[in-house]
Amino acid sequence: MVGPGRQERSWIRGARAGSVSDLEALFREHWPRAHRAAFLVVQDAAAAEDIAQEAFLSALRNLDRFDRRRPFGPWLHRIVVNRAIDWSRARALRRELSEVPGSEDFDTGDLGTFSEGVGAGLASLPPDQRAVIVLRYLLEYTPGEIADLLDLPRGTVNSRLRRGLDRLEAIVDRERR
Amino acid sequence: MSEEVKRSLQRIHAPDEIEAQRRAWALVRASFDTREPVAWQKRNRRPLLLVALGLLVLLAAFLSPPGRALVGSVRDAVTPDKNTPKPKPALTALPAGGSLLVNSSKGPWIVHPDGSMRPLGPWWEGAWSPNAEHVAVTKAHRLAALTPDGTLKWALARSKLLHGARWSLEPPSECCRIAYLNGRQLRVVAGDGTGDAPLRDVVGPVAPAWRPAVTRQVAFSTIDGRIELADVDTTKTIWLSAPGDPPMQLVWSDDGRRLLALGERSLRVFDSNGNKLWAIGMPVGPSGVVFVRKSHRFIVIRYSPATQRSDLVLFQAETSPGEPRFLYSAPGDFGTLAISQNGDWLLVGWINANQWLFLRLTSSAKVESVSNIVEQFGGSSEAPLDTAFPKSVSWCCPASP
Repeated sequence: MVGPGRQERSWIRGARAGSVSDLEALFREHWPRAHRAAFLVVQDAAAAEDIAQEAFLSALRNLDRFDRRRPFGPWLHRIVVNRAIDWSRARALRRELSEVPGSEDFDTGDLGTFSEGVGAGLASLPPDQRAVIVLRYLLEYTPGEIADLLDLPRGTVNSRLRRGLDRLEAIVDRERR
Repeated sequence: MSEEVKRSLQRIHAPDEIEAQRRAWALVRASFDTREPVAWQKRNRRPLLLVALGLLVLLAAFLSPPGRALVGSVRDAVTPDKNTPKPKPALTALPAGGSLLVNSSKGPWIVHPDGSMRPLGPWWEGAWSPNAEHVAVTKAHRLAALTPDGTLKWALARSKLLHGARWSLEPPSECCRIAYLNGRQLRVVAGDGTGDAPLRDVVGPVAPAWRPAVTRQVAFSTIDGRIELADVDTTKTIWLSAPGDPPMQLVWSDDGRRLLALGERSLRVFDSNGNKLWAIGMPVGPSGVVFVRKSHRFIVIRYSPATQRSDLVLFQAETSPGEPRFLYSAPGDFGTLAISQNGDWLLVGWINANQWLFLRLTSSAKVESVSNIVEQFGGSSEAPLDTAFPKSVSWCCPASP
């Protein structure tokens, strides 16, 4: 993971010192991707919003202990994605006890059927595979970085990525036909 | 496959993203306000210890003769990078190719990709020709065509004040026409200055907008806020909309299939046949709109009188506006929008801060800013910003908006 930019370090320094504008800059920089990542993993708009909010609040509570030589994004994404996985597992357990309605619709705008296919395909993957796909292809971490973020062996990350991509490909192909 | 997945994931949005962000910010802000700040000494205990240790080491090094050379090299290495102040005090380069035509309070200027800029002379406003080979300029009763180095190709004069000149976007083989306003009269002249003739005698004050990808069709507003599309060869009306809020800006999508009419209180979206797809109310205040290149999505400035902030919001010009997506926000007024030729960068004029913001629209969002915009285009730092700040910017080619 590369180090944070000068501007991000300045925002963190400012936020620690009580600057609302620096906090807002940090929030605006990181919220959209954190929220979207949470949504893609949990497939539930309300839960994604709660998870991303809680992750931000948690990061904020620990801002004084944060090493600002390190980038803020991975720190936040670690919290978001791990919470999202926990939430998805808990929901899967609840589903076994009582059927829950299907996942949220994706907003793909006018982007065509492939995005819709990937969105639907993602929903059919187990949460662990969804998480690594989202970390790899939305947040653009390397497999090594994902292994660090999720405390997993790198081989496990690679195999989840491979299995997830294979299943997505099969689903998208089926929908294209 | 993995590249397709990446592109697709980066295009998927959670429902209600913009409102979710607003709610989250309100919560984060409230939590921050109640946070107990940690004392500076406590927060910096470890760094202070490290600094003290470092000073001891440096002092020891400095006291020995061979150490003096080492201290010199360390000092050079830790000198702050002087090239990365934020915002930049001057426009040293454009983040993407193409050139800007800037209509400043001191007349039109051209800015090249390397940041070099030149005024076009004592004209009031200018507009690019399709390939930036010429600029149509107006001042008082005169309309002229110049080359980008300021050489006059031709000029004409008319009885009323001339403004809103726009060059048609036809291919070079059929090039070109200029539509312009002579007071409230809409006229069209060939690109070589010949064949000047009126198209309509009384129209609204907004600059006409040539329809891209279709030759010789121009949209303009009537005095009651209707939008009319006319064929300039036959002078016939192709379609005429219902009356509405008089537009301040008419903007076509690159493919000529969508037209936006932005008024003081509303935004109307039309298809190529003049059917209104949808409309929304707009808060009174600074506004502007630009299409994302090669798409039916567009970015609009939405000012909030309650918070006195300007937001950039993304909509789609389809049968419904889609879920609006919040892109960026800042206190005060945004005044102009222009999009780079490759579609990756959006220029936003931030009037109150006397800055231009360059927002990267690709997946890895980024903001660069340049200050002292008024001064860089010949304006006075003493003048009020709302009158001295450049009124519009067009990023070619093809020109935007």
